[in-house]
Amino acid sequence: MARINPKFTKELQSYGAFDTNACYNCGNCTAVCSLSDEDNSFPRKMVRYSVLGLESEIESSLEPWLCYYCGDCSATCPREAEPGELMMSLRRYLTSKYDWTGLSGMLYKSLTTSIIAFVLLAIGVIWFAAEQNFMPEHLLHYGHYFEMLAIGGVFLVILLPNLFRMWNMVIRKPKVKVPISAYFKSFSELIVHMFTQKRTLGCDDSQTRWFEHLILVIGYLSLLFTTVFLDWFATDSSFVLILGYVESVIIFSVTFIFMIGRVNKKTQQSKNSHPSDWFFVIWLFLMGLSAFVVRLFIDLDILETNIWMYLIHLTVLVQWALIIVPFGKWTHFLYRSFAMYFEKLKSLSAS
Amino acid sequence: MSEKKILEYDVLVVGGGISGGEAALNLANLDYKVLVVEKDLSLGGKMIALSKVFPTLDCAACITTPKVSEISRHPNITIMFSAEAKKIDKLGEHNFEAHVHQKPRYVNIDDCTACQLCEKACPVSVIDEYQQGLIGRKAAFIPFSIASPRAAAIDITNCTLCGACERACPTGCIDFTQTDLDYVVKAKAVVVATGFKLFDPLKIPRYGYGKYKNVITSMQMERQLAPTRPFNTILRPGDGKMPDNIAYVLCTGSRDKSVGNPICSQVCCMYSIKQGQLLMGSLPMADVTIYYLHIRAFGKGFNEFYEQSKEMGVEFIKGKIGNIKEKENGNLILRYEDIEEGKVKEAEHDMVVLSVGVMSNSEISDSFQGESLVLDDYGFIHQNDILASPSETNIDGVFVAGTATGPMDIPDSILSAGAASAETTSYLRRAVL
Repeated sequence: MARINPKFTKELQSYGAFDTNACYNCGNCTAVCSLSDEDNSFPRKMVRYSVLGLESEIESSLEPWLCYYCGDCSATCPREAEPGELMMSLRRYLTSKYDWTGLSGMLYKSLTTSIIAFVLLAIGVIWFAAEQNFMPEHLLHYGHYFEMLAIGGVFLVILLPNLFRMWNMVIRKPKVKVPISAYFKSFSELIVHMFTQKRTLGCDDSQTRWFEHLILVIGYLSLLFTTVFLDWFATDSSFVLILGYVESVIIFSVTFIFMIGRVNKKTQQSKNSHPSDWFFVIWLFLMGLSAFVVRLFIDLDILETNIWMYLIHLTVLVQWALIIVPFGKWTHFLYRSFAMYFEKLKSLSAS
Repeated sequence: MSEKKILEYDVLVVGGGISGGEAALNLANLDYKVLVVEKDLSLGGKMIALSKVFPTLDCAACITTPKVSEISRHPNITIMFSAEAKKIDKLGEHNFEAHVHQKPRYVNIDDCTACQLCEKACPVSVIDEYQQGLIGRKAAFIPFSIASPRAAAIDITNCTLCGACERACPTGCIDFTQTDLDYVVKAKAVVVATGFKLFDPLKIPRYGYGKYKNVITSMQMERQLAPTRPFNTILRPGDGKMPDNIAYVLCTGSRDKSVGNPICSQVCCMYSIKQGQLLMGSLPMADVTIYYLHIRAFGKGFNEFYEQSKEMGVEFIKGKIGNIKEKENGNLILRYEDIEEGKVKEAEHDMVVLSVGVMSNSEISDSFQGESLVLDDYGFIHQNDILASPSETNIDGVFVAGTATGPMDIPDSILSAGAASAETTSYLRRAVL
């Protein structure tokens, strides 16, 4: 027996803009969705869960991650209930449910909290730089250390436990019986979806969106690799040097396109931008741009006299790595691909 | 402009459909002189084109034609066809002045015997709007077989002025010298009965109307079912095959904010159920499936009619059609969520009928000079006091009848016309007292 919780809609609405109570259950959203199929019919199912406040059903649902937001459902909804935006809000809600620290929820729900967090980290960085007397060599050195530490730390302390929690909510709690061998058999699914996001191709008319997103992901991951493991800022290899430049240009140009889209609001998925969406694109843009300029300053030999530029980059980097990656929109990179993996596991257990 | 003819009547009725006709008849029977201004070539509006009516399954033409001929013969009623009230001015209480513009028919109605020789002679074929584009007609034509008046007309925009019809006409009633006429009409009261428009399904491209030939509107199906139907059987337009698996898509353009019409059209559920029953009769082997959101069978005898259709074998599936795709053989794939099961499904049908909704047709409000005629949020004419006097508009002396006030079925339109004529009478009586 399901327990109805009418207050839940309000709670969910703090994660985004939609009107589930307008829904009259015609199923148009599910029918126009090109990713919806007989095994996974959404988004109306999720609208029902949300209206009724069935939290445990929502927690164990993978559907929000199976939606890639083409926006057709919202554009054609006869009640203007914005089912696409509901799915987006559910992704934010689930992100905060998976997060054991509870910080995701706080940051998603309150813009003020997010701004305070960003400001505190900026103060921290400047304070640390002041401690180091703004010595360029020290700062670059510690900056590089921070990158490595942040990657390992955030992954082990936040993301790994959160993925485990996701597995717990989706597989263990609903008592889905998955044979151990399935975990290995389906592993390719995880990798493929993580690095290609090929499911986006199933969304109507979104080939460009998929392509832009793909090169952004590749650009981002390889810049991460180039700066952290190939030490881009200190490299002597001209190949690595150029590679880093190319990657950073890709990042800030694609994110620039995304930002323009969110300003123009021409497509359905860019109509409603939550602060977390803005933080994500703006910080990624700033990361790409500031990394590019820092390296340019190094090559022009003017960074020593303009250490403020590196401080900007470091501030952006720290905010990105400690707020957006563990608690913000960055996590969709993991949750989306793990959702495909868990979905495969569920289908194997059913058969 | 000085040569405009001045005509005087008690009541000006705008619209000669079933509501306008009924109101005119009631008023004329009370000895008021009535002028009916009709935009089209024939009386009877949309009803005269229908097959049968719900929930009694009476023949629509058999109800409409006697009524229409009574209206045309009534000594107190004058009808102007191809005419529009361009300007309506309230000069004072019981004192309206309207400027009526009449386009030429190029045929003297009184002399035409409807022999159809002009139709035979005319070399120009165009799409027949009275058969909902299912077949063609000539540029010299009789609108439809039960038109009233049953007289020819020349479609001048398509006419090549070859003169063949003129030569063929045995009575010499074709007259290309006719010109536009303008009248000044003085009336003591006005009844607006401008009816409705059907929703244009081209506004929902995902249903493929206009692109897939076997996707038709409910009005096109209505013509295929009517006694005066074009093919004398039911055929799908794509290849002339007799369909055996027909789908109805309810709420096409109704209750849909995304196309700008959030309200229920009130008649689509019932006319679709009616057509389902009629199809069971004309194509006994055919399957009929009605995809619905909620069946609204609220009138007298409606729910029984709905139940009856289920017993006859009409299938009902709850779920709005999301989109329609065409197969190579002309069949159509309908994608929907089966709400009972909560699963997205696809179904193949060989013909799809879009149950299009009722939209407002209130351009007449632009004709009112001075005090404008107020419309409601959906473009229908606003009723000042919907409960106590439903025919009153915001202008004293201007009354409204039928679907000009909002979607409604035929019995309600007749009731509304009755109310409008009663309220008009009471307004006219005040002038005398």
